[in-house]
Amino acid sequence: MGGLVNRQGGIVNIGLEPMMLVGAFTAVVVSAQSGNPFLGVLAATVAGALLGLLFSWSITRLGANEIVAGLGLNLLVLGFFGYLLPTAFKIEGTLLPAGLVGLPKVEIPLVNQIPGLGPILSGHDILTYLSWLSVPLVSVFLYRTPLGIELRATGANEEAARAAGVPTLRLRDFSTVVAGAFSGLAGAQLSLGVVTLFNKQMTGGRGFIALAAFYFGDARPALTALGAVIFGVFEAAGFRLGSSGVPSQLVQMLPYLVVVISLTLVAVRRELRVRERARAAAA
Amino acid sequence: MSQVTAETGIPVAGQETIAPSRGLQLLRPLQLAGPFVVALIVGAIVLAASGRDAAGTYWLLLQQSLGGPTEIANTLVAATPVLLTGLATAIAFRSGMFNVGVEGSLYVGAFAAAWAGFTLTRLPGPIVILVAVVLAGLAGAVWALIPGILRAQWRVDEVVTTLMLNYVAILLTSWLVNYFFLAPDIANSMSPLIASDARLAPLLPRSQLTIAFLLALVVTLLYAYLFNRATIGYQLRMTGLNPRFARAVGINLGRSIIVVFLLSGLIGGFAGGLQILGVNYRFIDHFSPGYGFTGIAVALLGRGHPAGILLSALFFGALSNGGAMIQLFSDIPLDLINILQGVVMIFAVIELSRLPACLTRCSGCWRPPRRPRPPSCSPPWVAWSTARVASSISGWNR
Repeated sequence: MGGLVNRQGGIVNIGLEPMMLVGAFTAVVVSAQSGNPFLGVLAATVAGALLGLLFSWSITRLGANEIVAGLGLNLLVLGFFGYLLPTAFKIEGTLLPAGLVGLPKVEIPLVNQIPGLGPILSGHDILTYLSWLSVPLVSVFLYRTPLGIELRATGANEEAARAAGVPTLRLRDFSTVVAGAFSGLAGAQLSLGVVTLFNKQMTGGRGFIALAAFYFGDARPALTALGAVIFGVFEAAGFRLGSSGVPSQLVQMLPYLVVVISLTLVAVRRELRVRERARAAAA
Repeated sequence: MSQVTAETGIPVAGQETIAPSRGLQLLRPLQLAGPFVVALIVGAIVLAASGRDAAGTYWLLLQQSLGGPTEIANTLVAATPVLLTGLATAIAFRSGMFNVGVEGSLYVGAFAAAWAGFTLTRLPGPIVILVAVVLAGLAGAVWALIPGILRAQWRVDEVVTTLMLNYVAILLTSWLVNYFFLAPDIANSMSPLIASDARLAPLLPRSQLTIAFLLALVVTLLYAYLFNRATIGYQLRMTGLNPRFARAVGINLGRSIIVVFLLSGLIGGFAGGLQILGVNYRFIDHFSPGYGFTGIAVALLGRGHPAGILLSALFFGALSNGGAMIQLFSDIPLDLINILQGVVMIFAVIELSRLPACLTRCSGCWRPPRRPRPPSCSPPWVAWSTARVASSISGWNR
């Protein structure tokens, strides 16, 4: 969802992955220090948003190319944690500080009684529910609020939006900060919800899968969420298929291929329309 | 497209015709060295913060990378793949194509070379080498052709497709190795070794410095020739500088794009193939520590200039060679090199000259006419306080 807001604001954010990592790390450390997982989640959100802000400034104010700066950020953050863990915490690989408290699972009364659906809908941590809730919220924000409409205008045509008096640079910054905050939350969900530890490989390409999801969904909230669910299913299925003969490499390849294919389809449709219009104009 | 080229900071044709003022000329080396210096400072801060002697570490790094013939040879070996990937990236950047998919070409090229090396064991060594190198180049070129055609035909954004195809290439070769070409009696994901006489012979004893480095130098010269003398190079530069002008003077844009991707992929494939023939001697699943991505940093740091690319490739070669050595001798993790590289990439694309303006006057920032608010480049309080300080000192804030 974060990447989607960003994309609508006109920035392709390949820095989601490092933002998730920073969020996951902050969540683990703060949660362990304070003994309160919710403080960890809050800190992760703030950390993700801050990183998003810095990243955004380098693009909107200092003219950096978003892809190169994003790749640089990926390398930098990976390198930073690779350096930090052995030197500051004296460990290789996995950080599991004492006193780390994970997020409690929420059992929804009544719902968890429903046979079949119960275990699917109930018994997750609060961030999972928050992520479900974010789909309609982001949708309403983008399509029903003035700010959201201005943001989409910025993404569609920055010059025109600027001419119409929309503060485009600030909106793009805002969208990246939102992306950072969501990524931070996603990281916290991984490190406090799914498992309770930190590992520099723990995000495992999820930032890129998010990218695939919103390319798949053409940056529309409901479709993107659907894409995310499909990729989630693929990922879960990938573990099982691996033992049943379908190579896991091919399953992992899917999200990347989806991005390429959906980009191509969108572009072909656009080109055909342009050519048709040109032909109509000539006739 | 021209905008993209401007963003990379790589000079394209046209800028050269306007003679820069003397002050700018003096500033230029400083500007070029900027990302490098910033990276070293950041590295020093990280080292110092973790209680290490930064100067000592850098000294050790220097000794281990340039301290003697063997060290220098190893640095050149480490510089070879990134010199090639840097050139492959720079060809695309200078032509206005944002190919960040050299890593993918490198993987398929490496796989093709390894395949030739362990399959054609009957043929004499030099022929196998030749076939392997040609196959590697072809494989890389074909791989790069996919986004090239998509771009030329339907204007599909090449940045995202090339980036994504990297991961497809890595996973594809991983699948091929693990399911079809696994070396017997080895648990790890490796192909069989290539024929022993298909290995490139070392030029120096006790090193892996081979003819591969010389070939990379030849490619550098060809690159210089291409963009400074050849007609195609001129057309490519024009395409990068101003596509509409290029089309107006009769340059076939679609063909230019295809040529760029073919050349870029060809060199990327060579980089992979030579790495297999000269250093690894077999294809290993996920073998590249990001040579293609380092190539982006090399191309950016060298600003597309052949000598600049050579220098920055040597710099990254020295870093990775020296970094590997100090990891052996001390407990400083190799990840330090990743930090330096990431910083170089970010600062190579940031226009540092805009920073002071941004912090004081917000000249680069735009203010909405409808809503009078304090100019916001930095958060309002920073802008406000710096403006206050600046105006109270000399009144130069308008």
